[in-house]
Amino acid sequence: MNRILAVAQNTFKEAIRNKVLYALLFFAVALIAASLAVAKLSLGNELRVITDLGLAAVSLFSVVIAVFIGVNLVYKELERKTIYQLLSKPLRRHEFIAGRYLGTVATMALLMAFMILFFVGMILLQNGTVRAALCKALWLSFVEVSVISAVALFFSSFSSPFLSGLFTLLAFATGRLTPQIHQLLDQFEQGIGVSLVRVFVATLPDCHLFTVSGAVVGNQWMSIHGQFVTWRYVAQATAYGLLYSLVVLVLAALIFRRRDLV
Amino acid sequence: MTIPTGQAHEAAVVAVRNLSKTFVTGFLPYRRIASVLSRFLPSSPLFKRVEAVRGIDLTVAPSEVFGLLGPNGAGKTTTIKMMMGLLFPDEGSISLFGGSVTDPKVMARVGFLPENPSFYDYLTAPEFLDLTARLLGIPRNKRAERIADMLELVKLTHATDRPLRKFSKGMLQRAGLAQALIGDPDLVVLDEPLSGLDPIGRKEVRDIVADLAKQGKTVLFSSHILSDVELLCTRVAIVVNGRIQKIGSLDDLLGQDVEAIEVILDQVPPELETALAQRGDARKQGAKWIVQLPGDDDPAAVLQAAIDVHARILSVQPRRKSLEELFMSQTANGSSAGGPASEDTGASMDHQS
Repeated sequence: MNRILAVAQNTFKEAIRNKVLYALLFFAVALIAASLAVAKLSLGNELRVITDLGLAAVSLFSVVIAVFIGVNLVYKELERKTIYQLLSKPLRRHEFIAGRYLGTVATMALLMAFMILFFVGMILLQNGTVRAALCKALWLSFVEVSVISAVALFFSSFSSPFLSGLFTLLAFATGRLTPQIHQLLDQFEQGIGVSLVRVFVATLPDCHLFTVSGAVVGNQWMSIHGQFVTWRYVAQATAYGLLYSLVVLVLAALIFRRRDLV
Repeated sequence: MTIPTGQAHEAAVVAVRNLSKTFVTGFLPYRRIASVLSRFLPSSPLFKRVEAVRGIDLTVAPSEVFGLLGPNGAGKTTTIKMMMGLLFPDEGSISLFGGSVTDPKVMARVGFLPENPSFYDYLTAPEFLDLTARLLGIPRNKRAERIADMLELVKLTHATDRPLRKFSKGMLQRAGLAQALIGDPDLVVLDEPLSGLDPIGRKEVRDIVADLAKQGKTVLFSSHILSDVELLCTRVAIVVNGRIQKIGSLDDLLGQDVEAIEVILDQVPPELETALAQRGDARKQGAKWIVQLPGDDDPAAVLQAAIDVHARILSVQPRRKSLEELFMSQTANGSSAGGPASEDTGASMDHQS
């Protein structure tokens, strides 16, 4: 475990000493701040607009940053040949994958905490309060980012950063649109083709489970301003995210296990 | 990746048997897919197969300083990477200390410095060594002391607060050596540790390797710099085109026999100059005359002639075959040399060639 933590800590240091990350963080904070200007146009619904835009900004920028870090996790090590220093030590390859993932999740936790602090500050400035629904939504967003980090690392274990980024963003977008894709498939004649598409969609991360504000869950409209999902739902979605990430990481480790480090 | 260890190799630190590795390059981006397809379509223009290592056998005994010599692209680095578990052999086997290179307990006894090492350039040297020490399982209370010792050993104590990206090539090489040695390994594997270093840096690395040998550590290193190999190694293997052409101790490979005797004369009077000019084995270089006699010849006659005419005898030097000459002859003949040399035939092959 100590070896995994050593790799994780190094991944964390690598990320937080990367200047590009701060540029992305700056844009995220700028977008959250810009919601204040947009809110002024909403005629009395300022708090609602700030909350919705801020939540969307935290979620999307976190995913973008997670993809940016994740797709480079293995590739950069191979390109710079720094991996020779690690894997010639008593470090198993699956420990390397686990360490890289944990380091990324720790980095994302810190960055999201920073964005959320800014976001909450904006809400408090507008005399708003932080409700349980918002906490649930932000936690689900973190779970989604953890899943996307695992998917990015999986692609990074055998592909270039460009392709890994493309595949990960496609998986993310498809995952967010899962209900719509199923609705669309219902309109086609059911056959092997449609079944194959359904199976393929089922293998992708079901990201819409993590973005429930403004969506229908269990035939009920959910909103962080009104009725929202229960803690039980949050726990179930978290369990799904953990299990999905674990499976993806195991697959990444299996692929990486026999990879030649040229 | 282990081998059934026979009686002869039970005590071997490194035992490599029939090691082969072919790389497939070409259009397809995924090596493994390309590798499988290229077996079914060997003549396809989509793939190019490069046989990097072809049936290498070698054994390194405890406390040996073993040199892997060869020109660029000979397969030295590929062999070393397979020994470190970074590449997987297509055929053959490797064992370190009688165990597998995938066993963390085995790798905890190994220190490795890759060729042209590249590090996490955002870390400082102490941070980098701390990461290495943690991977090696060095307890927290001993880490600081070990890191300080290593920085002292490689003379980097003045650069502890500088990120590695600001290090010169020589400093990086020294940081690489420090991470290879921090776990006090029994086997130290160094891939081209002397390349790119200035004469002072080379001397420092040489001294560290010599010191490791004195401590009884086993050292395996690859190098192009023959003079350093000659100074440090107890045994060498010459690798050309993925095969070992020669393997054995330097004495075995270079031989004890004197190949030639070189006599250098100065202030040679005209009558002796006339006599020397008629000899096929003498040549004039500036004011001096150099006479190159066969190794089994007696130089007494030449020396007596010089004494008789009061010429000055500057030196009488027996010449043995140098490692450079052996290396050049092996690399020149490497591609047409046929089968690889075995462990026991190094010296006898020398006489045949």
